[in-house]
Amino acid sequence: MSRGGGDGQQLRVDWPQCRARGLCAELLPELVVLDEWGYPVVLGPVRPEHTDLAREAVAACPRRALRLVRR
Amino acid sequence: MIAPPELLDVHRGPLLLAGIDDDPGLDAHRRRVGPLPDLALDRLLDAATAGAVRGRGGAGFPFARKLAAVADARGRRPSRRPVVVVNAAEGEPASAKDEALVRRAPHLVLDGAELAARALGAREVHVVTAQDRSAAGWAVDDALAERATRGLRWTRHTAEARFVAGQARAVLELMAGRPGLPVTGWAPAAHEGHRGRPTLLSNAESWAHLAAVVLHGPAAYAALGTADEPGTTLLTLATPPGPGGRMGRVRVVEAEHGAAAMTVLDPAALVSPLLVGGFHGGWVHPRDVPGLTVSSHHLRGLGLSLGAGAWLSLSDGSCPVTETARYTEFLADESAGRCGPCRHGLPALAGEVRGLAEGADTRRRVRELTGLVTGRGACAHPDGTARLVSSLLTRLEDLVEEHLDGRCGCAAPQRAPRAVAR
Repeated sequence: MSRGGGDGQQLRVDWPQCRARGLCAELLPELVVLDEWGYPVVLGPVRPEHTDLAREAVAACPRRALRLVRR
Repeated sequence: MIAPPELLDVHRGPLLLAGIDDDPGLDAHRRRVGPLPDLALDRLLDAATAGAVRGRGGAGFPFARKLAAVADARGRRPSRRPVVVVNAAEGEPASAKDEALVRRAPHLVLDGAELAARALGAREVHVVTAQDRSAAGWAVDDALAERATRGLRWTRHTAEARFVAGQARAVLELMAGRPGLPVTGWAPAAHEGHRGRPTLLSNAESWAHLAAVVLHGPAAYAALGTADEPGTTLLTLATPPGPGGRMGRVRVVEAEHGAAAMTVLDPAALVSPLLVGGFHGGWVHPRDVPGLTVSSHHLRGLGLSLGAGAWLSLSDGSCPVTETARYTEFLADESAGRCGPCRHGLPALAGEVRGLAEGADTRRRVRELTGLVTGRGACAHPDGTARLVSSLLTRLEDLVEEHLDGRCGCAAPQRAPRAVAR
C-alpha cells in the first residue's frame, strides 16, 4: 500500500448525490476539507487511527454520498 | 453550443473503411469480408489480443481484458446472461468517425458485437446512437433490419444530443430508462452493468476492429501498423466550428498506427496549433505538430491521448486563447450539473478563460480552478475540461503571452495595456 494507508481504505464521494452539507468535514477535518463551494476535498487515504471517524462520517452524511472503499 | 458537422468527407481506408465506395448493405458486406464465423470465447480472446484492440476512451483500455472480465463474471454467476452494448453515441461534436463508420460500414460494427454476444452466450445487443446524428440512427436501423436474428435481440437507443451522454455510465443509465447522464460507478460494468448483469460495452470502432481481426485474420490485420500497435485507427480531422457553433466539413480518415502526422494533416495544419483528442484533449504547439505520430504510445509519452481520435487544427488562423475560451464555455454549458465541483467549477473556469481571451492575466486563478475540478465528478467531464485549459497554459505558453501583449493578431485583446492579474 502506498502513502501510509493501513488496511488500504479511502473515502469516496458519490458526486451526483453530494449537496455540500459539510458534515464530513466537521467530523473528520483531518481528512476532509471543503472547497470554495462547500464540497468535500478528500486529502488522502484513511489511516488506521481515523477508520472509526471515517465510518462515522459515512454514517452521518445526510445524502449518503460518502463511502469507505478499498483502494 | 457546438454541434456536430453536417458534412463528412469520408476517405477510403485499408480495413474498416475499405468498402465505403461499395453498398453498405449486408449482401455486399458478406461478399467483401466473407461469412461471420462462430468463435468460442478463447479464440475470440486470442483475436482481440492479437489485434491489440482497445477502447477509445482516454485510457485506451485493452478490449481483451474487458471481454475476459465479462466472461469471468458470467462464470461466477451463470444465471446472469451478459449483455453486449455498441456505443456509437459520439457526444464529442468534433468527432464524426463513429457516425462515418455506422453509416458506411454498419455491418462490420454489428459483426464485432455479434461475435462477442455468441462467444459470451449473450442474447441481447444494444446499439446506442445520438439524437443529433439521425443519419447514424437510420443507418443502424437499416442494417439491423437486414440481419437474421439467430437468437439475438437487437435494440437501438437514442442518446440525448449532449457531450456527456456518450459516456459509458450515461449510456447504461439511458438503457435503464433513466436520464442518460453520468452516475457514480461503484462496480465495473463488466461485473455489474445493465440490470445488474455483466455488460460488455465498447465504442463502435472497437467493435469494428474486433470484427476486422477475425474476418481478415490476425496476420493480415497485423500487416498494417506497428509490432506494438497493429492495425489502424480512425481519425476525425476538423477545423474550428463556425460562428453559429456548427462544426464545418470534417475529414474522417483511417490511419495506420505509426503513421506520421504529416501524412494525414494538410500543409496548413502542420504549422498551426492542433488540439489532439477533441474538446477534452490537449493542445500541441505548431513546432511539435510535424513530429506527431498516430500512436497511443507516442501520444501518451507527450501527455496526450489518442482518445476518440478527433484532431482539431487552427489552420484557419484562429487564436488559440479565444478558441479555448469558446470551447470552455461550451463544456461548462454541457455539464449535466449533477456534481457540485463541475456545476460550480466549470462556469467559473470558463469565466476566467474568457477573461484571458479579453486580455486579463487570469492564469493563476485558472490553474487554481483546473486543480479544483480535476478528479471530482462522476465522469471525466471536469477532468477533460481542465486538461484542455491546462494544455493552453503549458504547451502554448508563448502564444498566450503574445495574445496578452496584443501581438497575436487576433481582434480580442488589442486594446491592451495588459490588464492586471485578479
